[in-house]
Amino acid sequence: MDEVKTTVVADDILASASASVQWSPKQLVFRPYAPVIKSESRTPNFKKPLVSRLTKDIVETYRICNPKFNYSDELIPKRFLTNPSAGILNDGFDNENSDFILSVNCPLINSETQRRYIVKDTLGQGTFGQVAKCWVAELDRFVAVKVIKNQPAYYQQALVEVSILTTLNKKFDPEDKHHIVRIFDYFVYQRHLCIAFELLQSNLYELLKLNHYRGLSLSYVQLFSKQILYGLALMKDAAIIHCDLKPENILLCTRNGVKPPEVKIIDFGSACMEDHTVYSYIQSRYYRSPEVVLGYRYTTAIDMWSFGCIVAELFLGLPLFPGASEFDLLKRMIKIIGEQPPDYVLKEAKNTNKFFKCVGSVIHEDGSQASSSGRSIYQALSEEEYEVREMKKPSIGKEYFNHMNLEAIVKKYPYNKSLKDKELARECQMRLSLLDFLKGLVEFDPAKRWSPLQASKHPFVTGEPFTCPYKPAPETPRVPVSHNVKVDHHPAGGHWFAAGLSPNILGANRVGMYNNSHFQVTPYAHGGNFGSLGSHGSYNDGTGLGSSYGSYGDNSNMLKYYSPVGPSAMNNYAQNIPVLGSSPDARRRFMQIPHGSNGFAFSPAGNFAPMSLGTSPSQFTPPYSQVTAGSPGHYGPSSPARGNCHGSPLGKGTGSGNQINRRKGWGYSGNLPTQESPSSAHWQGQFPDVNSPNLNAGNWKKQQQRNSGNAGGHGSFSSGKPYLHPNSVIHDKPETSSSLPDPGDWDPNYSDELLLQDDSSELSNMTIEFSKGMQISQAFAPTESTVGVARYNHMSSSNMSTQRSHAESTPDLYAHPMMNSSHLTPHFTPSRLGQQPVQRFSHGRSMGSRGGEWGHVKVQAPLSSFSSGGQRSPGSNNNAPWGRRGNHPIAANIVPSSHGGNEYGRIA
Amino acid sequence: MAISSRSTHRRLAVGSFIEEYANRVDILTFDEETLSIKPDPNLSIDHPYPPTKLMFHPSPKFSNDILASSGDFLRLYSVRDTSIEPISVLNNSKSSEFCAPLTSFDWNDLEPRRIGTSSIDTTCTIWDVEKGAVETQLIAHDKEVHDIAWGEAGVFASVSADGSVRVFDLRDKEHSTIIYESPQPDTPLLRLAWNKQDLRYMATILMDSNKIVILDIRSPTLPVAELERHRGCVNAIAWAPVSFQHICSGGDDSQALIWELPTVAGLNGIDPMSMYTAGSEINQVQWSAAMPDWIGIAFANKMQLLKV
Repeated sequence: MDEVKTTVVADDILASASASVQWSPKQLVFRPYAPVIKSESRTPNFKKPLVSRLTKDIVETYRICNPKFNYSDELIPKRFLTNPSAGILNDGFDNENSDFILSVNCPLINSETQRRYIVKDTLGQGTFGQVAKCWVAELDRFVAVKVIKNQPAYYQQALVEVSILTTLNKKFDPEDKHHIVRIFDYFVYQRHLCIAFELLQSNLYELLKLNHYRGLSLSYVQLFSKQILYGLALMKDAAIIHCDLKPENILLCTRNGVKPPEVKIIDFGSACMEDHTVYSYIQSRYYRSPEVVLGYRYTTAIDMWSFGCIVAELFLGLPLFPGASEFDLLKRMIKIIGEQPPDYVLKEAKNTNKFFKCVGSVIHEDGSQASSSGRSIYQALSEEEYEVREMKKPSIGKEYFNHMNLEAIVKKYPYNKSLKDKELARECQMRLSLLDFLKGLVEFDPAKRWSPLQASKHPFVTGEPFTCPYKPAPETPRVPVSHNVKVDHHPAGGHWFAAGLSPNILGANRVGMYNNSHFQVTPYAHGGNFGSLGSHGSYNDGTGLGSSYGSYGDNSNMLKYYSPVGPSAMNNYAQNIPVLGSSPDARRRFMQIPHGSNGFAFSPAGNFAPMSLGTSPSQFTPPYSQVTAGSPGHYGPSSPARGNCHGSPLGKGTGSGNQINRRKGWGYSGNLPTQESPSSAHWQGQFPDVNSPNLNAGNWKKQQQRNSGNAGGHGSFSSGKPYLHPNSVIHDKPETSSSLPDPGDWDPNYSDELLLQDDSSELSNMTIEFSKGMQISQAFAPTESTVGVARYNHMSSSNMSTQRSHAESTPDLYAHPMMNSSHLTPHFTPSRLGQQPVQRFSHGRSMGSRGGEWGHVKVQAPLSSFSSGGQRSPGSNNNAPWGRRGNHPIAANIVPSSHGGNEYGRIA
Repeated sequence: MAISSRSTHRRLAVGSFIEEYANRVDILTFDEETLSIKPDPNLSIDHPYPPTKLMFHPSPKFSNDILASSGDFLRLYSVRDTSIEPISVLNNSKSSEFCAPLTSFDWNDLEPRRIGTSSIDTTCTIWDVEKGAVETQLIAHDKEVHDIAWGEAGVFASVSADGSVRVFDLRDKEHSTIIYESPQPDTPLLRLAWNKQDLRYMATILMDSNKIVILDIRSPTLPVAELERHRGCVNAIAWAPVSFQHICSGGDDSQALIWELPTVAGLNGIDPMSMYTAGSEINQVQWSAAMPDWIGIAFANKMQLLKV
């Protein structure tokens, strides 16, 4: 109103106030409502209403009022979805945990296709990184994008997921009928590998939780079982082991119409090829198969065990084997199933001695003695015996079911009271069928455990009446699929990478994954695969190829995989010709792969596994990142340890540091850097003899080439021409001495960090073997070989400390700290079981080489090292609350708010 | 426009909308006996940009009348018998020359220290106006925030261009609750009115829509009613100060409609109880507890008080 003219239009009819209790407007100027039929001939108002011009269009209005008015969207504070949201690493794009800092409406761009994924919300977070719900305008749909941490180990591991899932999707299940999540796209954005998946709904754990942990009706159990079996059958055909099957990784699909609900299997981030079972520490504990617990070789049958556990849990609402430790887990299995693992497994399994004692004489190597007498020569340790052997009390969880055998658990589970007689009879019948079904799945003997195909013909799944115990037809022997697969992508997917993934390579290398048969053919493929697998070098079979994780993208192994060069690249390698490799960061690296067998002979790679764990975040990031990693001292410019990085204490130090950090990150707590510092100092002290200048490269990009493919950076130890991996870290773990707690014992929280510890003895190999394999492209600094030794000490001490901390924090994990109430559908949330390790121990293939090698260890860890490690961990515990709240200092920054669950903070 | 809460003076404030930098705020006095509204040349003050909202201090007992306005900043004025003086300009912008304009604000009647402002920078800022300091700033939405309304001393709701209505509790700043999202994503919600007689209900309007959406915070996401009898877009809404089930709306169809929320909605939607046709598009509706029998509307260059 430019000028205010006022009129009072109230008719001056001060009507007698009808003072009714109920207020109602008097009929004065307001008249009873009558719909207006004809449209008025008033000139339409072309101007927007004032309310729009003062809200939606206020900037325009202000510009009209004042042409100089200027406002830019840049002033809008970002609502961060990532926590912590302080940009510390990667030029401020990443937080201290190497997670890309996501904010609402920030884009993730596939530079090749220019497709933009607009981040709208977060679905979950894990050790691997984060999962964002993104809108893709050109597809007019939401997708789930996994944004992997900017650390080589996670990057590698995620590549495995990409290749395995791509294979499963495209090659084995082009029509999407096997209940396996679809992968849509992958690309690198701001140094983060991003993988786009179809967006699904809530997972089965959340479903059970919503159901107040009561079991689902048998018809749903049957339906889901059948669908999951479709997926498992496909995976078996593809010779792929999921390695982390659990209710959290089975997601409901968006329902369309009246169709029955559907589920899909997700998270192939831990999957591996059946013929490359690199890690020994796999599966989430409740769903961990006995052969994995015992350290026996494993196959796709471990997924069937997990599947059995899931089926039981869907029925019961609670996990069947909620072991608080591996000891507890095994004890529960034995009690509930009423048997124990077969002697032939116990005889060969690596960890048998941790859980069993031998009570009979082994007369026949083949174990016939035991079987003929009908009694096992092994007897499970009692709690007391375990305590004596392991020097610690096993954690024992509480029991959910009063009837501790499977039959009673199933039969006595409360019945729905509304069931009428007839339905009740049917329910009982189906439970018998379910019981028989479960018995074939949670079968100790992996050889007898049913395959997906066998299980899918069980009456419980087919719906046929259950009349007698199911005897599956023996699987017809067939050419192992893996063999076939080998032709294409064997081994282990490393090739796939080669073919398909080289994100930053300037676009040169998007080669159809399956197109390069050459790769597969080459003899080296094997070795290479490992690297590619992201196996972190943990592969120990002595034949070698471990690809070191430390090497990261730079690694020669990696190169192979990423090499845009295509098939010819392999040849080049073989010939020892430097090849231009493309590593993820798009820098060029020259690499040479040693010719012939020598090159590949390095077995020790296993040791490096830890690095991969992302223990050395700094590799990808500027030097100061190390500080965040928790051991600033180490990486400091003066750090003597630098050159050796591998296996060096650095690794450990950082490793544990990371662990802590990471954990904290998870829990959203603050940083621990201070705590770490003592330990780092410690480490430094230990390695006085190692001199490597720091080249620091905190940036992995800067690192130049790597050594031989296998040995990767490790070669540097012996050769003295280190390939510098300044930040890379290795964690080796001395062979599991009984005095060290097994990670499994505390592992609900087990996360990748744990993985750092390798099985072991491979350390020693490293030093020896390296010398041959080494090829240096660029020696940054002289190094001494002693590092390897030192490493050993560190390992042990740091392990202890880390373990301790984990153990203490374990209970907290049961909460889902990350879950927002509003997000019912996260794909990835820290599970109650703890995060699935990204890295695992290598599976003992190198056993033969163990032992003797220890001779190399010359340096004993000073006592102090232990203590420092120890101190560190408790401290970190204190500071690392798991809960989500609390950690947010509300004070200072604007933190986003949102829907039921996102946070917002305030600007103070 | 705004109506003073003080019972001693029947005061109104009106602000201009002129597409120039210089705008004005005038204070008017309403005499209920003579039914006259008088401007006072002394009670007029310049205002940079058109004010997006005016509001008097909510406490009837406050010694001085204080008027607040939002626009480029949150401004407080002391309104005396013969003069109007600026008290303070509250600016939360830290850096740039031009801050994000404020689209609206609401004065907390239970905790009159608190004023919450909504801004196009996606935030809501809670001011402690006694201290002249920011109590907190929240990123409330993913897009511009268009309006804010207090429910309780520490609870407010906001609407945004992102199409959502969110409720915030200052005791738990970590979370907010979305109680409504417009059916077409990103249809801006422009205004919000919280029913002070029954805090379960609030009403919001969508941009370029003839609908008034009535929400019940107990049943998030599903509106309890949608009032669709305006024949142009709805521009303003005000809950009755004395009844929990009446609301007045004004729209581009020049009509002011009074609605009574039925306990059960009919099949054909809800008809308003009564209607008033103004001379042109109604831009503002005020219905104040200080003058419950009068509804103020503004259209074109006029302000009218309608007796109900």
